Amino acid sequence: MTKQTFLHDKHVQLGARMVDFAGWDMPVQYTSIIEEHKNVRENVGLFDVSHMGELLVYGKDSLAFLNKLVPQDIAKLTDGKAVYCQLTNKKGGLVDDLIIYKLEDEKYFIIANASRVDEDLNWMTLNQTGFDVEIDNISHKYSLIAVQGPKACELLCSMGLKDLPKFFSIKKDSLLGIDVWVSRTGYTGEDGAEIMVKNQNAEFVWDKLLEYGKPFGVMPIGLGARDTLRLEAALHLYGNDLDENTTPIEAGLSWSVSKTKTEDYNGKDVIMNQLQNGVDKKLIGFRMLDKSIARHEYEVYADGEKIGVVTSGGVSPVRGENIGLAYIKSSDKLTTGAKIQIMIREKLHDAEIVKLPFVQKRNKV
Amino acid sequence: MEENMLCTKTHEYVVEKGGKYEIGITDYAIEQLGDIVFVELPEVDSEFGKNEVFATIESVKAASEIYMPISGKVVEINEEIVDSPELLNDESYENKWFIKIESKADQVEFADLLDYSDYKEEVE
Repeated sequence: MTKQTFLHDKHVQLGARMVDFAGWDMPVQYTSIIEEHKNVRENVGLFDVSHMGELLVYGKDSLAFLNKLVPQDIAKLTDGKAVYCQLTNKKGGLVDDLIIYKLEDEKYFIIANASRVDEDLNWMTLNQTGFDVEIDNISHKYSLIAVQGPKACELLCSMGLKDLPKFFSIKKDSLLGIDVWVSRTGYTGEDGAEIMVKNQNAEFVWDKLLEYGKPFGVMPIGLGARDTLRLEAALHLYGNDLDENTTPIEAGLSWSVSKTKTEDYNGKDVIMNQLQNGVDKKLIGFRMLDKSIARHEYEVYADGEKIGVVTSGGVSPVRGENIGLAYIKSSDKLTTGAKIQIMIREKLHDAEIVKLPFVQKRNKV
Repeated sequence: MEENMLCTKTHEYVVEKGGKYEIGITDYAIEQLGDIVFVELPEVDSEFGKNEVFATIESVKAASEIYMPISGKVVEINEEIVDSPELLNDESYENKWFIKIESKADQVEFADLLDYSDYKEEVE
């Protein structure tokens, strides 16, 4: 039996095609993935992301505990600030990628991937010994609605949210009389917010966002466009681009790893060694030079030799060409502009390594 | 056209036209696929057996293989949908066939194909 969000009936009424995603019955598209994608780049879109995991970590040792779990320096967070993190294992591989918010001293809020909540909780509990800290899974109590696009903040402003938090910050507010947490984050590369609301108020907030959103051209957006949007912005997808055998450095996430943090954390020796001495495999972005489409797990070649594998691939509605992310063997020759080939149905197709992201992010910092 | 159309359970159709056969995928399949962004068709003169893969079609989400409803030799392909795959999603566009074939298929090959109305019942 697949799980349903509190907005499930709304999706069905809106004519969404529903699919199983990480055990949840979720909308993959309402009208057309390409149309929905473009609407988020040009106007604003609503996403039901209530399937994502929400955890609370609190207690005297929460800071020390979180600092043991991630390569980022959680001590740098001030109240209401958030940081993109990775939950690392002892080999520096990724149990999950997360956003950690500091709500106040000794109280942190975490957004985790739907597919990884159980593993995250298990791993956190295994690491809990010796720390005076509580971990609460509050995923089942809250719904999460992402409002994304260049007109997202105007829309929220028109509903009375006049003072939105800054990029990667969170604050408590009231939306038409409903208590909400508003976070200036998202998974599209556009400006916007994610609204966390108690389940019983989810339908009301969803309906009001659609109603107030009309003059801004709002559309509900399915997981199909969520995937193409995040790919254009080169935002990693756990399970595709990230896994337990891939480190943040290999994944091109060095920017998010603290170089100065003194505390030890899981996998620190491996990660620090890679930062200093380089990596054997690395994540690159590529564009296809013909009309063919690269997909997850297709092989990558250069000069007749297999050099890697595609982890995410598909269309870029904004660029009007096909793009992808791949892990390849590190080599000085294989940098931006280099030609590679992708094996598609037993034929090699030309592609070119390009800079990431594929489409410039427009978050308001 | 729909009354002469025969369909497979994998959503291909075949229809006889002037001694040749036109092959494509059903309107139901197109709707289920969503945005079609890539179509790969075989070369003219290539030959396929019944149920062999002759084409690939890709939506934004995934690639799907298309199977021959009957055996035959390709005599013409629809270049328009190769150049502009999005035409398949355009309701006003009528030229949605994939290939035309010459076929010597016997009764046995036709035996498991469904009338369009039976097919509709099957998928809905």
